[in-house]
Amino acid sequence: MSLSDHARRNREVWTGYAPEYAEGAARAWAQEEITWGVWHVPESELRALPDVAGKDVVELGCGTAYVSAWLARRGARPVGVDVTPAQLETARTLQAAYGLGFPLLEASAEDVPLPDGSFDLAVSEYGASIWCDPYRWIPEAARLLRPGGELVFLVNGTLLMLCMQEDEASPGPELLRPYFGMHRFEWADEDGIDFHLGYGDWIRLLGANGLDVEDLIEIRAPEDAKPHRYPALPEADWARRWPSEEIWRARKWA
Amino acid sequence: MSDLAPHERANREFWDREADRYQAEQAVRAAWGVWSLPEEELDVLGDVAGKDVLELGCGAAQWGIALARRGARVVGLDVSERQLEHARAALAEAGLDFPLRCAGAESVPLPDASFDVVVSDWGATAFCDPYAWVPEAARLLRPGGLLAFSGATPLSWLCLNAEGNGWDARLNMDSFGLGRLDRPDGTVEFALPMGEWIRLFRSHGFAIEDLLELRPPEGATSTFRDERGLAWARKWPLEQIWKLLKR
Repeated sequence: MSLSDHARRNREVWTGYAPEYAEGAARAWAQEEITWGVWHVPESELRALPDVAGKDVVELGCGTAYVSAWLARRGARPVGVDVTPAQLETARTLQAAYGLGFPLLEASAEDVPLPDGSFDLAVSEYGASIWCDPYRWIPEAARLLRPGGELVFLVNGTLLMLCMQEDEASPGPELLRPYFGMHRFEWADEDGIDFHLGYGDWIRLLGANGLDVEDLIEIRAPEDAKPHRYPALPEADWARRWPSEEIWRARKWA
Repeated sequence: MSDLAPHERANREFWDREADRYQAEQAVRAAWGVWSLPEEELDVLGDVAGKDVLELGCGAAQWGIALARRGARVVGLDVSERQLEHARAALAEAGLDFPLRCAGAESVPLPDASFDVVVSDWGATAFCDPYAWVPEAARLLRPGGLLAFSGATPLSWLCLNAEGNGWDARLNMDSFGLGRLDRPDGTVEFALPMGEWIRLFRSHGFAIEDLLELRPPEGATSTFRDERGLAWARKWPLEQIWKLLKR
């Protein structure tokens, strides 16, 4: 197993974030309902996931593994993969608290030490989907899936990435950077490196890895959206007008 | 022609009125989009020799003629009779003959599964309701057939300035609810957010093959867009080509 430079850097960043994320993790583990993103839009509305009962699921960049926990409660057999030991430590603590055991594996989603064709579903919510290089993690996700298996991942909205401010101020409507060439993002005020592609690049990358695009769900903040705690992300007013989050759904060719 | 939707009638009136000026002034070529990017570079259509090709919104049949010369069996469709008169003249001049039909793309008077390729370059697909014309394209294509069409990106619509004649580095319009644009000249255009396009294609049996977001080269010239349009389109995609395969 090898770690890319950005994976190493993001592991450091997330080791620093881990203590403050533990509280949110406890809340998420306590939650029964599956929800998506910072606006907590219920899965029952978005229908991004298949029926997971009896399915082998890999969560790529699981962090504190709350998504895996939600899926385990619905009968899935999840494996959580994350590059940051401190985040997995929080996940283990919560597993013990809830008596909900499933494997947690320390690895980058760019290089996963698991066998080919061993999962029915690969999922990532603000995980590998934004913190790993898509040109590395999408081939890994495709490799891990069985024929007919599904890939579901949530990313920041593409328009949002054009409007995101450098100084952690909430974005406005101005386009602050070009669309062409979108890939690797480094920020003035933060050490982490994140990755975002344009729509055509996603479609070509998924197709090149034998994944058929099935849907792109552009998430709209609900009317009664509650404020989130991420200063760089838009307020509900913005996210009522433009999608601040997008879920891609793709299926490996049978 | 009696079953045209109101927006198709409005668009037909515009094109009947504007066809002469458009064909005289716009130097339309068989190349993609407003900066005429060559098919030889983009390779959207592949080899068309021996294939049945339908062009939706053929205008003066510039594309149809180019594809017929590459061995395609072309049918040109346009809602404007005046545009088709230009197409007939162009065919005669080229020494070619293929069918031209006057109809909108939302209700095409041609049989199911009769084409291998449906193509439109800023044609009827930009002026017809996607929820009506995409099912028609799906019906007309044979299994394995290709639908390729160019038009505006949703981003370019969101950034349209108040006058509707240029683009700002700013989101001026909401993405949610995007779909139809009523122009001051009476024409009606359509564009969808990305996810809506994808769901619409999938619901009519199309696999998503590619999405080419076109970037004009430096110094590109266009009879449709000015320097400011070029500067904008060098940073953000103004036009896109969807490539879809009928299952």
